Amino acid sequence: MTTLLRRSQLSRRHIALGAEFEQIGDTLLVSNYGSSEEIAQAKSLALIDLSTLPRTGFKGAGATTWATSQGVKIPERPNLALLQKDQSLVVRLSYHELLILSNIDPLSTQIERLDSMAVGPQTYTLPRADSHCWLAVTGSQAAEMFSKVCGVDLRPHKFANNAVAQTSVAKASAIVVRHDLGTTHCFYVLTDVSAAEFLWDCLIDAMLEYDGGPVGVASMRELAAEG
Amino acid sequence: MNQRLAKPYGSLINRDQPIKFSFEGTAYQGFLGDSIASALAANNQWLLSRSFKYHRPRGTLTMAGQDANTMIQLQSNPNALADRELISENLRVMAQNYSGSLKRDRGALLGLFSRFLPVGFYYKAFFKPRGMWEKWAPLIRKKAGLGVINQQLEPDYYDKQYKFFDVVVVGAGPAGLQAALTAAVDGCEVLLVDENPTLGGSLNYARFDAEGLRGQQLRDQLLQQIDANNNITSMTDAVCNAWFADNWLPIIRGKRLYKVRAKQVILCTGALEQQAVFHNNDLPGVMMSSAAQRLIHLYGIRPGSAAVIVTGNNDGYANALDLLDAGVQVKAIVDLRDTPTQDAISKAIAARGVRILTGHAVFAAQKTNNHLSGVDIRPITSTGICGPQSESISCDLLCMAVGYTPTYQLVCQAGGQLSYDDSSAMFTLTNCPEAMQVAGSVNSHWDLDACLAEASRAAILATNALGFTETTIPEIIAKTGVSPNHPWPIFPHPSGKEFVDFDEDLTIADIINATRDGYEHIQLVKRYSTCGMGPSQGRHSALAAARLVAAATKRTVAQTGVTTARPPFAPEQLGHSAGRSFYPARRSNMHYRHVEAGAQMLQAGEWYRPAFYGSANDREACINNEVVNVRNNVGLVDVSTLGGIEVRGKDAGEFLNRFYTFAFLKQPVGRARYALLTNEAGVVIDDGVACRFSDNHYYVTATTGGVDRVYQSMLKWNAQWRLDIDIANVTSAYCGVNIAGPKARDVLIKLCLDIDLSAEAFPYMGVREGTVAGIPARVIRVGFVGELGYEIHVPQHYGEALWDALITAGQDQGIQPFGVEAQRVLRLEKGHIIIGQDTDAMSNPMEIQMGWAISRKKPFFVGGRTIAELQKKTPLRSLVGFVVDDLSAPIPLESHLVLQGEQMSGRVTSCNYSPTLGKPIGMAYVDPLSAQAGSKITIKSSGGVRVTAEVVALPFYDPNTLRQEL
Repeated sequence: MTTLLRRSQLSRRHIALGAEFEQIGDTLLVSNYGSSEEIAQAKSLALIDLSTLPRTGFKGAGATTWATSQGVKIPERPNLALLQKDQSLVVRLSYHELLILSNIDPLSTQIERLDSMAVGPQTYTLPRADSHCWLAVTGSQAAEMFSKVCGVDLRPHKFANNAVAQTSVAKASAIVVRHDLGTTHCFYVLTDVSAAEFLWDCLIDAMLEYDGGPVGVASMRELAAEG
Repeated sequence: MNQRLAKPYGSLINRDQPIKFSFEGTAYQGFLGDSIASALAANNQWLLSRSFKYHRPRGTLTMAGQDANTMIQLQSNPNALADRELISENLRVMAQNYSGSLKRDRGALLGLFSRFLPVGFYYKAFFKPRGMWEKWAPLIRKKAGLGVINQQLEPDYYDKQYKFFDVVVVGAGPAGLQAALTAAVDGCEVLLVDENPTLGGSLNYARFDAEGLRGQQLRDQLLQQIDANNNITSMTDAVCNAWFADNWLPIIRGKRLYKVRAKQVILCTGALEQQAVFHNNDLPGVMMSSAAQRLIHLYGIRPGSAAVIVTGNNDGYANALDLLDAGVQVKAIVDLRDTPTQDAISKAIAARGVRILTGHAVFAAQKTNNHLSGVDIRPITSTGICGPQSESISCDLLCMAVGYTPTYQLVCQAGGQLSYDDSSAMFTLTNCPEAMQVAGSVNSHWDLDACLAEASRAAILATNALGFTETTIPEIIAKTGVSPNHPWPIFPHPSGKEFVDFDEDLTIADIINATRDGYEHIQLVKRYSTCGMGPSQGRHSALAAARLVAAATKRTVAQTGVTTARPPFAPEQLGHSAGRSFYPARRSNMHYRHVEAGAQMLQAGEWYRPAFYGSANDREACINNEVVNVRNNVGLVDVSTLGGIEVRGKDAGEFLNRFYTFAFLKQPVGRARYALLTNEAGVVIDDGVACRFSDNHYYVTATTGGVDRVYQSMLKWNAQWRLDIDIANVTSAYCGVNIAGPKARDVLIKLCLDIDLSAEAFPYMGVREGTVAGIPARVIRVGFVGELGYEIHVPQHYGEALWDALITAGQDQGIQPFGVEAQRVLRLEKGHIIIGQDTDAMSNPMEIQMGWAISRKKPFFVGGRTIAELQKKTPLRSLVGFVVDDLSAPIPLESHLVLQGEQMSGRVTSCNYSPTLGKPIGMAYVDPLSAQAGSKITIKSSGGVRVTAEVVALPFYDPNTLRQEL
């Protein structure tokens, strides 16, 4: 297999914005865009591309049974997410479908381990790392911004931490997961990878009203560490 | 003369901030907060516009943005409402719909010919004699419409936003304020919406007591509580423009359309004051009594110097007190009632010595210089009839206070029923949905305390329903007091011009004549006369029209009803609907490689695809070169947009066997098979190939535009069949290319070291898994373009790397990218159809020569039963190939007709110049009798030129398929 560096579908957007990249394994992530205000930006309203981070998915009548047998903790019902011991996040999309997202460092080991295993009966892998792009929207104004592009009420007191919505964002089918970074609101948005640039542009446009903009993953780590 | 009143009048204006603007080229000054109409009124400019049909002078009617009289032209948009639009520094305002000048409009001459323009004129005049419409059309088109669109203007940024509330209260008058306060219990999020600049509604301008204190006191008290309540969000200058199912409310504010979801809605939309109908009731200076009060209290404007009030209720008396307090001489109150109700307000009027004429009506208004100059007062002898005794009173202001209609539009859009009681002239609203309450004057409560009590009750119903409270629900609030609606404020005049509908210049005679022409149903009267079809949508004409129709057809108003109130409530700008819409655009991972290579991109559905590579000016040459290179060397095309669906599980073969027309149960592992999909009607709806990678794993391709439908259809069928499979749409997870041409293997062999690419080991329609340039890949030997070819599908993020590797590896073989256009030519030469282009909503497999793709051995497949029946019948048409040998003939295009004599017998579905054959080739549906090779068909090509084509056997190229099986 090739050891080509994995770039995001949005890499040209990032380069144009002056991104500094960091390499983790064979993937490139935007660390920052050179601004000293990115942490403050992330607390207010920011967009981060996490598309090159590991993720996987399993589906089928036997998927949750098999995943449980492999030590995965399953959210009690669909449309909930549950943080795992290795800091990966298991998102239950239906009774028989799981999406597993790496943490942002990424130090999660579960995804690689599960991907390398033979799955159990009536369990089918899904190529989530290739089918979807993965964006994060952070900050106190995130829900207000989302109300311009998404018909689900994502306000913090209505959409709890680790709640999941399978909806559309800017008319693109999307999975929205609220997974806060310490005290900062954070929403993951996963949508069809071929629409990544479209969605990125829509979100940037929607953020302008609130002075939102892109930041790198370094800001997210700072916010997570602040607790 | 400056009409401005001293403080405290003028709650909306800031006298410290003067604003300069112009109207009709004349400079004026107003204050911040002034509407255009109020600022002009302050300068004694009352004439604002000309009416649509007769170009009659029109001025302020409601001062509430509810009428078409104040429609003016701004640089940015036509038909702005002068009583809604605020002035701003250097704003340029023009009137609309006049010839010459606003003061001296030549179009007003039309009024002299009004008897020749009766109701239904349009219908009567344009149909006969035959061809007459062509004569009328240019004139009508010139006269139709109001205002001018500035096409040079850069459009503003309009957008949309969702909002979510537990309770939405529409209307922030006394009932709305009280409803919001009562509803805003712990945890209940309340939105209070009002179209006006400030909360308070009638409390801001109406008079509720003789002293004129109660309204202001109550407003201050309620607003203080509203301000202090964090559960209430107020939205002013915001119009709730409709009600849609499940309390979906479009609220327009500025340049944003809010899409509001409410769990409960409380409509406190109030009531709209109605005009009296008499001769010249449309003159500037004649206005609703509430309009005069708005001018006085909101803008600090004296609405006239000498006033007459025509009234059918005691609100007219309150209006008179306001006028007196504002320094207006009130010459008379003309009360339609014989015996007015006595209350503190009427007593106060009597005490101030105002002349009151009971049992009288305004029979006519007179004008001087486009403005009211006096009224003709006469006694009422019977319903709608005035006696001959006439008294003229000179005045420059006539206030009308003859009744109200509830602002029922949103209620009725939600399924509510509006009823009218002829005896009391009162309206009732019933049948509201469970999640909707109504309160206040919209529900015919005219007593202020009753309005507040009902609003509280409505809020309790809402919060109880939402589970926020378990409060005991108060008794239904009884309707108290006397109806303010006079049952018949309509007085015909021998000279007509008693306007029922100001928007369309419709008079009493027009409405009655509509019924005499046989249109007795109120809905037919509306359409025949256009009553209620203008910008104000019947707000002031519906009741009067219903009364007239009722009388003319000898029914009650209750039996007659009013016309349907459809959304939107108020006119909305196109920008509100068109602003910031989302059209998802999809790009493959190789997208920028195409752009960098000079591709002209096209959008195929949501996807961007390379049409061809090179200058748009050299389109044909570029496409031909790409075709030739594929035929002679090797080409590379991005097929990432093709659908990809994984079907996995022990019943995967059985599923495909039922879903597609072919047989799949015995398909060997490592082989691909053509997959044709029909629907239950036997119509071909998609195609692709099904690749079997293991006993329980198929990877099925589908067309770019069809994959979502195929996937949904698969899910739907298996919901019934319950087979043990999983279906996953992985279209975006894989990038794909097709490397095609006689040298394709020579290129691929350099990069693909773990798959034996020899023809024997990897034959046509074989599938393999391995690596290409070190990238994990699924390789499928297909021949869509009719050459040796391999589709290579790799994980999405490797797409660009795969493209680069193949382009680099193919340099010695002359590899070049080719686009969708060349691919279309190549497949046409090979005789392969494109679903959706060469098929339509009626195409069955037999008529497109695909009977070979149907398995007759299996018991069932979707559409099989229908196809079996169709096979017993003579086909109605056949899809055939044709060539055009006359190179000078215009090349037929898609959808050009195939003719038999002068009758259409079919149509062209595809046609291109074939660089390989050196002439145009195509496919067309023809009569089956013309489907034999050698038949001649006539195609009506561009410019109507008849082109003769010869039917030939398909494919045009490589009939023995030697090249794709190299």
